[in-house]
Amino acid sequence: MANLRQDELERIAHRLGRGPSAVELAAFDAAWSEHCSYKSSRHFLRRLPTETLRTVLGPGEDAGILHLGTHDGVRYGVVVAHESHNHPSQVVPFEGAATGIGGIVRDVLCMGAEVIGVADALRFGRCEDLQSHQSHVARGVVDGIGAYGNAIGVPNLAGDVYFDGGFDENVLVNVVALGLVKEEQIVHSYAPKGAGGWAIVLVGKATDPSGFGGASFSSLTLDARDAELDKGAVQVPDPFLKNVLMRASYRAFAALRERGIEAAFKDLGAGGIVGCSGEMTGHGGYGAHIDLDRVNVAVENMPPEVIAVGETQERLMWVVPPPFVDDLLRIYNDEFSLPEIAYNARAVAIGVVTEEQRYVLHSKGRVVMDVESEFLTGSIRDELPYTEVIYHEPPQELPAVDVGGLFTRVLAHRDVCSREPLYRRYDAVVRGRTVLPRGAADAGVLAPIAGSPLGLALAVAGNPRYGRIDPGYAAQRAVLDAVRRVVAVGAQPIGLTDCLNFGSPRKPEQYGQFVAAVDGLALAANELGLPFVSGNVSLYNESAAGEAVPASAIVACVGTIGDVSVTVTPGFKAPGSALLWVGSRELAIGGSVLAELLGLEGTLPVIEYDAERAAIAIVGDAHARDVLRSCRAIGDGGMLTAVAHLAFGALLAGREIGAEIDFGNPLCEAGGFLCEVSGDGGVDVTGALQIGRTIDAPELVVNGTRFGVSHLYDIWSRPLEQLYP
Amino acid sequence: MKARIAVPVFPGTNSEEETLRLLRDCGGTAELVHWSDAAKLAAFDAFVLSGGFAYEDRVRAGAIAAHDRMMDAVIESARAGKLVLGICNGAQILLEAGLLPGTGEIRRPTAAFTRNAPEPHFVCRHVYMKLAVPPERSPITAALSEQALVPAWAAHAEGRLAATGEHLEQIVDGGHLAFVYAHPDGSVDAAAVPNGSALGCAGLVNREGNVLAVMPHPERDGWEFNHLQRRRHEDVLAPSGGSILFESFVKALER
Repeated sequence: MANLRQDELERIAHRLGRGPSAVELAAFDAAWSEHCSYKSSRHFLRRLPTETLRTVLGPGEDAGILHLGTHDGVRYGVVVAHESHNHPSQVVPFEGAATGIGGIVRDVLCMGAEVIGVADALRFGRCEDLQSHQSHVARGVVDGIGAYGNAIGVPNLAGDVYFDGGFDENVLVNVVALGLVKEEQIVHSYAPKGAGGWAIVLVGKATDPSGFGGASFSSLTLDARDAELDKGAVQVPDPFLKNVLMRASYRAFAALRERGIEAAFKDLGAGGIVGCSGEMTGHGGYGAHIDLDRVNVAVENMPPEVIAVGETQERLMWVVPPPFVDDLLRIYNDEFSLPEIAYNARAVAIGVVTEEQRYVLHSKGRVVMDVESEFLTGSIRDELPYTEVIYHEPPQELPAVDVGGLFTRVLAHRDVCSREPLYRRYDAVVRGRTVLPRGAADAGVLAPIAGSPLGLALAVAGNPRYGRIDPGYAAQRAVLDAVRRVVAVGAQPIGLTDCLNFGSPRKPEQYGQFVAAVDGLALAANELGLPFVSGNVSLYNESAAGEAVPASAIVACVGTIGDVSVTVTPGFKAPGSALLWVGSRELAIGGSVLAELLGLEGTLPVIEYDAERAAIAIVGDAHARDVLRSCRAIGDGGMLTAVAHLAFGALLAGREIGAEIDFGNPLCEAGGFLCEVSGDGGVDVTGALQIGRTIDAPELVVNGTRFGVSHLYDIWSRPLEQLYP
Repeated sequence: MKARIAVPVFPGTNSEEETLRLLRDCGGTAELVHWSDAAKLAAFDAFVLSGGFAYEDRVRAGAIAAHDRMMDAVIESARAGKLVLGICNGAQILLEAGLLPGTGEIRRPTAAFTRNAPEPHFVCRHVYMKLAVPPERSPITAALSEQALVPAWAAHAEGRLAATGEHLEQIVDGGHLAFVYAHPDGSVDAAAVPNGSALGCAGLVNREGNVLAVMPHPERDGWEFNHLQRRRHEDVLAPSGGSILFESFVKALER
C-alpha cells in the first residue's frame, strides 16, 4: 500500500531520525490520507459559518450538536452527522452502503446520544438497462441501507435520489444521522483535562483484517479493473451486534451519569485503533501507550500493522478514569454479553493515556511504533493550485409550452416520479416517534422526546443538474432547497450539515469546483443565518477515465417545531382554498427537469436572498396565523410537480379534492412554495400571488387543461417499480 | 396489586421502547426484561413480545428465539392461561414456539410467518387490521368493537402466513384467524395485503384465546401524532388509533 508521497515519506523519516517501521508506515498512511486529515479541504471549510445561538457544538468532533428545545426544564440537543460511503458502495454495494449507516450511527452514538433517525442522499447512474452494473449497484445500495437501518431500529426519515449518467461509474451514498442528547450529558471525543493515567478501552467486534487500508483506499481514484482487489478494504457490517452495542452504550452513559464521572467516547472510523486513540489523546494534549496484544482479534497471528489500523466495523473506544473500568467492562461483557453475541466481541482495556506526548504501540513485547503525538495527528495541509469556476450564461430560449403533453412526462421523469418503490424497503416508523414518514412530505418529522410535543424535521437536497453547470450555484441551491423543504412542513430551520462530493483535488479544475461550492455554501448559510455544525468531504470521485462526478455539495437541514400538532400534513385539505405561489417567479430554465425534457439550455435562475428570506417568512407567518392548510416546496419539475404532490396527498388520504390553477409558463424551477391557504376570496397573505383554488373534484385543471388525479398518480407512481420490484 | 406485564428483550429486539411506552400510556404496569434476566420472567402476569430481529433472522424469523430460555417462561405462562401478545417479530416467535395457531406441539410449528411474496423484500407500509372473529373470542380483543379496524404499520420481510392446506383449514375452522388486512373502508381484497399472506392473515389467536400474534405494528400508529391525517391542534400525545389493541389488552388484565 503506502499512498504516501515521496516528500511525505521523507518528512516522516527525517522527523523520526530513522526509517519508519511497518506499523508506523501504515499508521501515517492512514492518518495522513485525504480521508482522515482533510489536508486539501480543511482550510477552505473554515469559511463556513458554524456559530449561531442554536449551535451547541460546532464541527471538530465526531458530530455537531444543535439546540433542539427545552422540555420539563431540560435542554435537549440534536446531534447531527453527515458522511459519504461512495467508494465502498461502488465496489460492494450492499455491504458498502450498510457500512455507511453503521459508521454514522456510531458517530452520533459516541456523543452520548440516542440515535433517532437517518436520511440518505443517493446519486445513482442512469439505470435504464435493468441488467446493467449501475442497476445492480442501485439495488444493492438500497438493500444495504434497508437491511442495516431496519435491523438497528433507527427510522429512515428523509432523503433524495437522482439517476444521472454522471454517476454511472461513481455512485454517491451520503448518509445523515440524528441523535438526541440532554445538553448537560454530552460526551466528548477527546481526553478531558486530567486524563493522564486514564484507561483506553476498546469495545465491540473482534478486530479482523477487513478494512485494512480503508482510509487511503477512499482517497484513491476508483478504477473498475482494481475494484475486485479493493474489496478487502471494505468492512463487513453487523447490525445485530450494533443493536446490542447501542443499547449497552446507553446503559454505560447512564452509569457514568449516576457516578458523575467524565469520560471520552469515540467511533473507530478511518485509521482504526491508531486513528481513534491517536486523535482522542492527541487532541487533549496527551500521548498514549497501547498494547496490541490485548486487542481482541478474530484471526490469530495478524501482523501488528493490521491490528493497529484495520477498520473493522462495530468498534468504539472509551477513555475512562481507572475506577470506572470494571463497571464499563461489566456492562458490555456481562450485562449485554457481547462475547455471546458475536465471536470474541467484548470490551477490553488496551492501553493508557500518558502525560508524555508520544504515541507508543507495543506488540509481542516490542515497541513497534513510537512517534510524537502531534506529528501523527496534527493536521497536515496541502495547498494545491485550483482553477476558478466561471459560469457562462448561455442564451435563454423560452418556447411556448403545451402543458397537456408535458405534465405526464414530468411526472414520469426519473428524478420526479415516486420514490415509494425504494422507500418502502426502509423502516420509517420504528420507535413509534414518526410524525411524517419519509416520502410523505418534503421533510421527515419526528417527535423525539417521550411525553413532549416538540418536533424535529429533516430534509436533504443537492441537485446534480445544477452541479454540472455551476458548482457554486448548486451549493447555494442545496442550502436553499433543504431549508425550503423543512419550512414546507411547518418547521423552523435551525442548522445545516454538508457532504461535499467532488473529483480530485490534484486537478486544478476539479479542485476549483470544490472551492466554489464551499464559497456557495458559506454565502447561502450566512444569508440565511444558519450554522454548519458538521460535515464530510469525499474527494476523488472520478472514473477510470478521470471524469469526475457532477459537483455535488449535498446539504441536510434540521428544523424544529414547537408542537407537532401543527405540522403541515400532506395533501390538499379542503375545496375552495386559495392556492398561492410564494417566491421567485423568474423564468430562467437552466438546470431544470423541464429544460432537460425539452432539450433546452437556458440560464440559471438568479438567487436573491432578500426575496428568499421574505418567502420563508411569508410561509412561516401563514402557518403561525393558522391559515396554511398544505404546502410544498417547488423543486424538480417546478409548479407541475408541486401541485401534483398536493393532489396526491389528498388522494392517498381519501379526500376527493383537486385544483384549478393557472401560472403561465410552467418552466420555472427557481424555487419557492405552493401554499394552500384558507379564506374565501380575501387572501390575507401578502407578498404571494394567487394562482388558483382547490376544487371539490379529484381533478387538476392546469392552465386550462384537465387531468384526472388518479390517472396522474398512476403515471407518477410506476416508473421505479421495475428497478425496485 | 395491578397485573404486571413483561416486555422481553432479545439481543436483536428493536421496538421495545415504544411498546413499553404505549402499554404504560394505556394504563398498564409494564417493564422491560433483558435476555440476561430471563429468570425474572416467570413472576409476571402477562407478556408482550415486541418487534425486531431477535436473533438476527438468519434462519426463518423467530425460529432461534423460540428456543431461547426466555421463551421457556413465556410458553409455560401461556399454557397456564396468562395473556401473551406478540407483535411482528414477537408474532413470528410465538408461531415458531408452536403456541399458535395451537394445532401442533410446542416448538413444532404448523404455520409460520415467512418470506413476503411475490417480492421477497422488506416492506414498510401503513395498513389496517380488521377483526375476523367476534371480539370476545380473545380477552385481548374483548374491548374492541365488532367492526373494529386497527391502524398499524406493516414493517417486515417475513410476514406471509404459510401452512399446508390441511393446517390452513384448521386455522379457519378453529377460529384462529384473528385479524385480516383491510382497506380504510373495511373492505378486504388482495391489494390490502402487503405481503401475500395466506387468508389475508394479519393475526392469529390460539384455541384458548389468551395468545394473540399480529404481524403489523399497532404501536407505531399508537399516538395521535403518528397519524398522517390527524387534525391540527389535537392532543397529539394522547394514545390513539392502534392503541385500541393495547387498551383492550390492559383492560383484560384488570378483570
